[in-house]
Amino acid sequence: MASADKTINTDVPEKDVFAIHFLQSLSNLRIQNLFNSPDTTNYRVRKIKKAAYVSMARAAGGTSRLWSRALLRRAAKGNNKIVRFPRRKRKVTWKISSKRRRSDQRAPVVEDAAERLRNLVPGGGGMETSKLMEETAHYIKCLSMQVKVMQCLVDGLSPK
Amino acid sequence: MDVSEEKRNRDSSNYDSVDNPTVDWQVSGSNPVSAPIDSYTQENLISACPSSCSPSQMMDSFGQTLWYDPTSVQQAVGYGGGFNVQSSNGGNASSSSSFRGNIDRSLEMGWNLPNLLPPKGNNGLFLPNVSSYLPPSMAQFPADSGFIERAARFSLFSGGNFSDMVNQPLGNPESIGLFLQGGGTRQGQCQSNELNVGGGEPHNDACTVVKEPNVRSSEQSKLNVPGSGNVSEDTQSSGGNGQKGGETSSKGFDTRKRKRNGQNSEAAQSHRSQQSEEEPENNGDKKRNKEQSPNSPGNKTNSGKQQGKQSSDPPKDGYIHVRAQRGQATNSHSLAERVRREKISERMKFLQDLVPGCNKVTGKAVMLDEIINYVQSLQRQVEFLSMKLATVNPQMDFNLEGLLAKDALQLRAGSSSTTPFPQNMSMAYPPLPHGFMQQTLSSIGRTISSPLSPINGGFKRQETTGWEGDLQNVIHINYGAGDVTPDPQAAATASLPAANMKVEP
Repeated sequence: MASADKTINTDVPEKDVFAIHFLQSLSNLRIQNLFNSPDTTNYRVRKIKKAAYVSMARAAGGTSRLWSRALLRRAAKGNNKIVRFPRRKRKVTWKISSKRRRSDQRAPVVEDAAERLRNLVPGGGGMETSKLMEETAHYIKCLSMQVKVMQCLVDGLSPK
Repeated sequence: MDVSEEKRNRDSSNYDSVDNPTVDWQVSGSNPVSAPIDSYTQENLISACPSSCSPSQMMDSFGQTLWYDPTSVQQAVGYGGGFNVQSSNGGNASSSSSFRGNIDRSLEMGWNLPNLLPPKGNNGLFLPNVSSYLPPSMAQFPADSGFIERAARFSLFSGGNFSDMVNQPLGNPESIGLFLQGGGTRQGQCQSNELNVGGGEPHNDACTVVKEPNVRSSEQSKLNVPGSGNVSEDTQSSGGNGQKGGETSSKGFDTRKRKRNGQNSEAAQSHRSQQSEEEPENNGDKKRNKEQSPNSPGNKTNSGKQQGKQSSDPPKDGYIHVRAQRGQATNSHSLAERVRREKISERMKFLQDLVPGCNKVTGKAVMLDEIINYVQSLQRQVEFLSMKLATVNPQMDFNLEGLLAKDALQLRAGSSSTTPFPQNMSMAYPPLPHGFMQQTLSSIGRTISSPLSPINGGFKRQETTGWEGDLQNVIHINYGAGDVTPDPQAAATASLPAANMKVEP
């Protein structure tokens, strides 16, 4: 088999990219003027959370990653935005069913965990287990980066 | 083969004739012969573990129908002890009674075996059946050479490789205990191995345990050694094939075994192979792969693909290298399966480096759990921080410049110097025109202080003023990267008309 490191590419951009994207999305939120009378904190929280995820997906590679693509698509559905995705070479749907059936037979230990992972990682439903692992690795990296950015932001904004 | 046919007949007859005092046994008896032994064993072992029914009764009834030799039943009991071990996961005192109970169970489970055992009628016949289920205990028992051979021939293999064990199952409670211990320790490994059978865990345990006991009770049973070795994939396939009739596979195994035995042409080897066959699939896989490869290069791949993968031996990896043992048809599949498994394990190692604290963890199951927990915790952290952000800044009026500056300062401290900074960003963003930057810089410098104070009490005048110099530098860089969005603050936005520009990645 080819060496793993060469085939698996899980580079994520620097923290700055994430920061820029996040702040940008936050500003967008502000511009929407939805928070002039923000009665419900939950609403704001949800918006911010969504903005965080979307900005993370954009920063992490836009549509070049399966999970980010699925995330953006999910977000776009709610907003009725039109998101353009590059045409995928192969159809995923067929592979889902065929791979699922076989993966059930394979190492149930791994497959059970893979199922749980699929629920967590966006876009995991259509991925085979090995691909899922790759996406999870990249997703973990991006998530930790986003967490760092948000932590910085909170620290910066909190009253001294 | 005749043997297989006989076995089948025997199974049916056995079931009919045996009046199991407990319902469990009957139920188990009614299980289709072709049902994978693994699942069978699991259910039966665990659910019907009961020593409620007098084992002796069961044994007798079984003995009449199944076993030619009552003594063999005794031996089988030893296997049963193994079962106990598996189900209770504990070392039974390995009393004979417990063994008996186990035997009953094993009988049920080992229904595959009976089919295999032809009325050759020796102890050996019985044992293989039982043994299939009880790898751990079985391995310990020394097996008669004759018995072993017979067992080897007929044993099915669904999972147990117990032929050797049969010889003196009862007589070696200690050995059983050893097995149990081994089983306990090996459980982790077993579990990590992917067993063909869904419920393959007991087999797994058995498999691994078999290996260990061999080492320990070497003096007790020479047969134990084999577990590791020559065994044929047959056991593997038989055990693992829950999906297919174990019997047919076992039949195939028999022939193969014989061939292999012939190849080995050593009593020990044959014993070993026999034992290995009996061993649970996993063990068989491991052992067979290792030993058989030199002996029989032409082995076909196991039905590994059906079962899942059988990894290679180093216990720490939990992987078994499967060797093609059967069927050309499955060759490509099993190889592909193996490749796939390797891919997955490769990625798991990669993930292991990412997730903190996963280095010490071994075994796929635990590590996957860790990974899942880590992802969940990260997501929860994001949610928590977004809540914090919402409360810290209720007006949601983020001053982009100020925030950027602050963040940039903090980020810069942690990351590289400012010089590469714009370069990083420029890769993602088209650089803004120079003129624009100058304009924004000046406007920012002018307006930065005013928006800052109203934004939140956290910003002090001194900070902003003190920042300005730095801010300009930073903002310059930031804007150079191109991410400029209008400042929500009216004052700020008014002064930065050009800042409306947004750079989309």
